[in-house]
Amino acid sequence: MDAKPKDERASPGPESALSFGERFYLREAIKGMTVLARHFWRNLIGYRDPNTEIMDRKGPGVNLVSTINYPEERKEYPPGYRGMHRLVPRIDGKPRCVACYMCATACPAQCIYIEAGEYDDQAIEKYPVRFEIDELRCIVCGFCVEACPKDAIRMDTGTHAPAVLSRPLAVFDKEALLKGPAVEHATDLMTYKGPLKTLPNPERGGSGH
Amino acid sequence: MANDTTAEPRLDVSAGPGMGFPAPTIDTPSARLASEDFGAAKGEKPGYGRWLAGVIAGWGAFLGFLLFMAWFFLALTRAVMWVGDLFPMNWGLSQGIGAIFSLILVLVMITATLLTMGDRKWSALMQDRVGPNRARFSIIPGLKNRPLRGLPHILADVLKMLFKEDFIPEGAWGNSFLFNLAPLMAFAPAFMLFAVVPVSPELTFFGDRMQLQVARIDWGILYVFALASIGVFGTALAGWTSNNKLALLGGLRASAQLVSYEVTLGLTLVGAFIVFGSLRLDVMAFSQGMPENAIRTAVVLAQRAGEVLIHDDSLLFGWLPSWGMVFQPLGLILFLVAAQAEIKRAPFDTPEGESEIIGYFLEYSGLKSGMFLIAEYAETVVVGGIVTTIFLGGYHLSWIEPTVMRLFDGLLQISGFAWLAVFQVFAFIVKMLFVIWILFVARWAFPRFRYDQIMRLGWKMMLPVSLANVAITAGVFLWGGREGMAWMGGLEWVAIIFFVALSAKARGETEPGIHDAHDAPHASGDAAPAAHTAPAH
Repeated sequence: MDAKPKDERASPGPESALSFGERFYLREAIKGMTVLARHFWRNLIGYRDPNTEIMDRKGPGVNLVSTINYPEERKEYPPGYRGMHRLVPRIDGKPRCVACYMCATACPAQCIYIEAGEYDDQAIEKYPVRFEIDELRCIVCGFCVEACPKDAIRMDTGTHAPAVLSRPLAVFDKEALLKGPAVEHATDLMTYKGPLKTLPNPERGGSGH
Repeated sequence: MANDTTAEPRLDVSAGPGMGFPAPTIDTPSARLASEDFGAAKGEKPGYGRWLAGVIAGWGAFLGFLLFMAWFFLALTRAVMWVGDLFPMNWGLSQGIGAIFSLILVLVMITATLLTMGDRKWSALMQDRVGPNRARFSIIPGLKNRPLRGLPHILADVLKMLFKEDFIPEGAWGNSFLFNLAPLMAFAPAFMLFAVVPVSPELTFFGDRMQLQVARIDWGILYVFALASIGVFGTALAGWTSNNKLALLGGLRASAQLVSYEVTLGLTLVGAFIVFGSLRLDVMAFSQGMPENAIRTAVVLAQRAGEVLIHDDSLLFGWLPSWGMVFQPLGLILFLVAAQAEIKRAPFDTPEGESEIIGYFLEYSGLKSGMFLIAEYAETVVVGGIVTTIFLGGYHLSWIEPTVMRLFDGLLQISGFAWLAVFQVFAFIVKMLFVIWILFVARWAFPRFRYDQIMRLGWKMMLPVSLANVAITAGVFLWGGREGMAWMGGLEWVAIIFFVALSAKARGETEPGIHDAHDAPHASGDAAPAAHTAPAH
């Protein structure tokens, strides 16, 4: 006797994996509608916190919608996020940068352009006249931050490079990059009060302190 | 940033820094943006009390709006009647015309329009999404940046439909008359169906007898069936005159499905005819609660006896409202399913079947396509109205009707019956919206049936069951009258609920994302099905 090919359109018989209640369909239908109704009311009147992680959206009365309405609501980036660069200011507002070209040398994308200048009358003689980063060319590798001996460039802004309407606008100059809280280390010349002849080596930590 | 696009950055091309392009100075928009953009924006977290107040205010505003609309429907009809009284030859037309204005042009039309948005927004809520919220009333100053829960999308959709080209394909030129007639044949019956649905009882409103019903005709529900079959012509004509194979397939499927389910649709209501003894929808609604003079008598008796609570004579066994769903649970469920098939919504949407054939309206564009779309939602509203009238007690507020009448009597120098009518229209709208919501939940819960499954369900399951329902209803009604019917209906409800809750043992039915949120004790073991029947929030 040849085996009949299985007719997929046929109603599942008693040997089917479905139970009688499942084949009757009404029970399964009402169960499915109950699930949807529960989600509906929960999302309709549920308390919604736009800042919660998706995994945290539980508990009674909490909205299950995990969408973030982007321009109005933004998710905070994680703490280690390599965001847009900033030039770290000193407490007097000038950049910590001493125009040593380490970051520009380390940059694999060659997106950093520095022009050095000199002060005549200050303990820290060198400073950047121009410091520009092309955020379109930047590959956000963070090597410049690693390379900087003076902690003068950081990527801790917590934001990403903004969209621009033309390519030159993506080149951020010194004034645009110089922002955020000032940073001062104990080994810095500005805070060092000892004689200038025994200048401490910042790389090894202040010898006088 | 978009505001600053006109400002050109100050470019100093001559002093190129060696990077191949000039660098901007501090005046550039990006520099300004960067200086303002320190740190990630953080969404405002609403306080719990503020959220609660918002929920309460939102629901209050919604229900208040419905109450106002109930008042508005009565007042609009009464105003049209007042205008009609100015003409010498009235023939009683003015009430019907007023009801056409208030019910068909406002209630059905506006509800159907809002449902185009409601469908998308409700489905979003059911699927844990936000739904469309990007359109804005940008020309209104205060609303420039407010999503308003997606309401502007309705206007955007309407404008899109209106201004799209009305395109007639070359293959339809020979039959362009029928091609243009088809959307009308689908559109008009959907609105005409509501003519026999009573939204209020006959009442005295500002000194004149009126009822919110367009046509009080003896063959009320037969009119519904007749016009529902006219709708088949719209889909069949659309599919045929489009001269497109896929549209023809859609039209064929639609006509076969609609004709099949009309049989069940008619037979499920025969039980209701037997129980209420009439084909008229207004008589059916009337006999599901207290009539006006009974309320008057009950109020007078209660006031003489000094009772606070007023006895409601219409309640079965003294407590059960005599709604159609009490007598005909099986009829209610069968009618809902057949109506869902009749209005061609999922899971019975093979005539459209967006993913396989685009549907009978494939070749239509612009407003004609929109008419098919609106007709679908208008039919949903009509089904809501009919189910409410026959099965959910119509406009009746069971238990509290005499109390409402006595409480509001004389408020604002309006009689208690007028106030009661406002609340009854309000109750009708709320019940109707509830039925529509149930239909929408069903629409989003199930995948599309195959065509042969639809036919099998219609002819081999629902038709025999509805025939059995007719036979059993007739027998029980002869034997036990209305109370016997109520006993049978109660038994049917118990059987349905018992079957839903406690039948076959649960097999790994845990819904991801829900059970870890709450009712953790039910997540495993045999008690899981019981947890599914009651919403756990």
